[in-house]
Amino acid sequence: MQFGPTPLSPAEAALRAEVREFLAAELPPDHRPALGFAGRHDPAFSRKLAARGWVGMALPPEYGGHGRSAVERFVVAEELLAAGAPVGAHFVADRQTGPALLHYGTEEQRQRFLPGISAGEIYFSLGMSEPDSGSDLASVRTRATRVEGGWTVTGTKVWTSEAHNNHFFAVLCRTSPMEEGKKHAGLSQLIVDLHADGVRISPIPYIDGSHHFNEVALEDVFVPDDMVLGEIGSGWQQVTSELAYERSGPDRWLSTFPVLREFLREKAGTGVSDEEATVVGRLAARFWAIRQLSLSVARALDAGAAPAIEAALVKEVGTRFEQDLVEALRVAAETELDQGSGSLFGELLAEAVLTSPKYTLQGGTTEILRSVAAKGLSA
Amino acid sequence: MSDDRAMLTDVATGLFRDLCTPEDVVAAEATGWSERLWSALAESGFPYVSVPEEAGGSGGDIADACALLTVAGRFAAPVPLAETGLLGGWLLAAAGLELPEGPLSVAVGRPGDAVELAGGPGAWRLTARVQRVPWGGRSERVALLADAGGDRYVVSAPVASAGVTGGRNLAAEPRDTLEWTDAGLPDDAVGVAPAGVTGDALRLRGALSRAALISGALARVSELTVRYTGERHQFGRPIARFQAVQTHLVTIAEEAQMAGLATEVATLNARPEPGFFDVAAAKAAASEAATIAARASHQAHGAIGMTKEYELGQLSRRLWSWRDEFGSERYWSRELGRQLAEAGADELWPRISTGLGNA
Repeated sequence: MQFGPTPLSPAEAALRAEVREFLAAELPPDHRPALGFAGRHDPAFSRKLAARGWVGMALPPEYGGHGRSAVERFVVAEELLAAGAPVGAHFVADRQTGPALLHYGTEEQRQRFLPGISAGEIYFSLGMSEPDSGSDLASVRTRATRVEGGWTVTGTKVWTSEAHNNHFFAVLCRTSPMEEGKKHAGLSQLIVDLHADGVRISPIPYIDGSHHFNEVALEDVFVPDDMVLGEIGSGWQQVTSELAYERSGPDRWLSTFPVLREFLREKAGTGVSDEEATVVGRLAARFWAIRQLSLSVARALDAGAAPAIEAALVKEVGTRFEQDLVEALRVAAETELDQGSGSLFGELLAEAVLTSPKYTLQGGTTEILRSVAAKGLSA
Repeated sequence: MSDDRAMLTDVATGLFRDLCTPEDVVAAEATGWSERLWSALAESGFPYVSVPEEAGGSGGDIADACALLTVAGRFAAPVPLAETGLLGGWLLAAAGLELPEGPLSVAVGRPGDAVELAGGPGAWRLTARVQRVPWGGRSERVALLADAGGDRYVVSAPVASAGVTGGRNLAAEPRDTLEWTDAGLPDDAVGVAPAGVTGDALRLRGALSRAALISGALARVSELTVRYTGERHQFGRPIARFQAVQTHLVTIAEEAQMAGLATEVATLNARPEPGFFDVAAAKAAASEAATIAARASHQAHGAIGMTKEYELGQLSRRLWSWRDEFGSERYWSRELGRQLAEAGADELWPRISTGLGNA
């Protein structure tokens, strides 16, 4: 295990102070906190954040990025999440697709996409899940066939968050037929323009009634050769390393934090009972402990380590904690859930009850993570 | 970890490995004591780590002492290591009192304890009843805090003049009730407690000591469970291959790491004294971790874990004891929650996001 205590350096602490100041100035007093990175899509906010250099932090300056460390990204991410900032427009491109393009993309692709990602102007969705492929990702059936100058893609992707608002998605598809016993071979990633001919986006109503998920049907969509991400046939390796990116970041344990803060705010007038204090204290203690596990993974990444087991453990415990928090506060508050209750705490709590099951599903389910972590522990 | 502290940990690990085997622990539980282990520890100066050298201690800081306690917890060490240095030694040294040769314990300040110090220089008298004193009957002295005439004193109370009623925790570690009835004390057994040497400060140190012991025991529980489930075959394969068993392994590892890191940060931040938030959070996390990990580990082990001799039981019985000593997870969560509520909603995140301070 590579978990270890690590402080923020003075420079990292100064960065944090800058982000706090920015958020205090930018978020209006009646700002309704978003729960998690996917909470709210707000291009104007994404651009403002980018103007401060806080989008594309992992990308090098020659592509408009900022070459910042994993810990610096951690510091910015945790402040955004704690404040419930609306970062839904850019976060997939920022966290996942940008680094993948930097890693596997051609020079031309980097020039084309990375400056826009860093400017908070180009947004990506994920193109992995399908109706019959969830945790067993290698079973995807979306198929790309070789044609003159590129590929033509046919298949259906689901749970595509914000496809109706974003620009592109990186589609995992089969570029050669599955061979018995070689399930992970023959997969590739193609960058598909969500506005291309043959792309049909239809909403899948989200559990809370909002429009968040989509089904994206691809019918003979032409993808030119210069939109192939990485090597043809290396899609599996690319996607699994992409999933490991920041698997253990603050977005895996901080999504429901605003509910706790608003609970305390609501109690400011009356004070807390012993039982409420116990719940608040327990949650704060675990936040404090989990945060340091997560921070120590970022520090290890900066030191060049590959803390895969640690990252899986943090996501597993962190996302379950995001859910535990919601239920602990519900019990403490002795309330009936109502999305329109008129109390900020009550409304956030209701939203969190409806949406928090996703935390232990997205980016690797709890069950998959346990299997990854347990194999590492036993090795 | 600093090089010095890493070396201290290595040396201590070697010592415990030789002198505190599971068999040694079984033997010590029968009598409540391991003279062999204690002598070796005392000879190396370990019990008085964190007590200043000028006061007769071994020097080092709270983080050093807690690093030793983490090793002690890992080996289920049946000796009052925390009580002698970090707790009792601190009290005596702060008040300018001499450290005893033999083991030293401390009255933890439980509800229902009564300590009455009367008289004055040349004629001090002690009447006290203190409960669940760790290894109280085995100790040479017990450090007590007493209020008299508007001042707070530290008393180095000789066990020889006390009535002792034996008690034990679930791990058969002595937790004795001691009574002094109008016992005379020499002047060198009473000293004024300086500012900061209070029952609350003692409680923080005590809770931190138990969090450190728990961390060590949890790390060992995690290793034992990984080893056992890798070796034990059922249905033709190691049980660690079953997803349901993997869940236990992951749960234990998470809880052990969480408690361990929280405690380590709390000890590193304890300069000069442990902070309330750090200790409350670390002890709350460690006590909860003790409960969760002990349960998962027993489930993964099956019946072998339920035997007195197997190492797991030695550890789980300590986890079930230490989690409640110096305040349970509920106690510290409540105290922490009260303070956070008083500080207000906008102070919550700045507090949670303050981890390890810069040296």
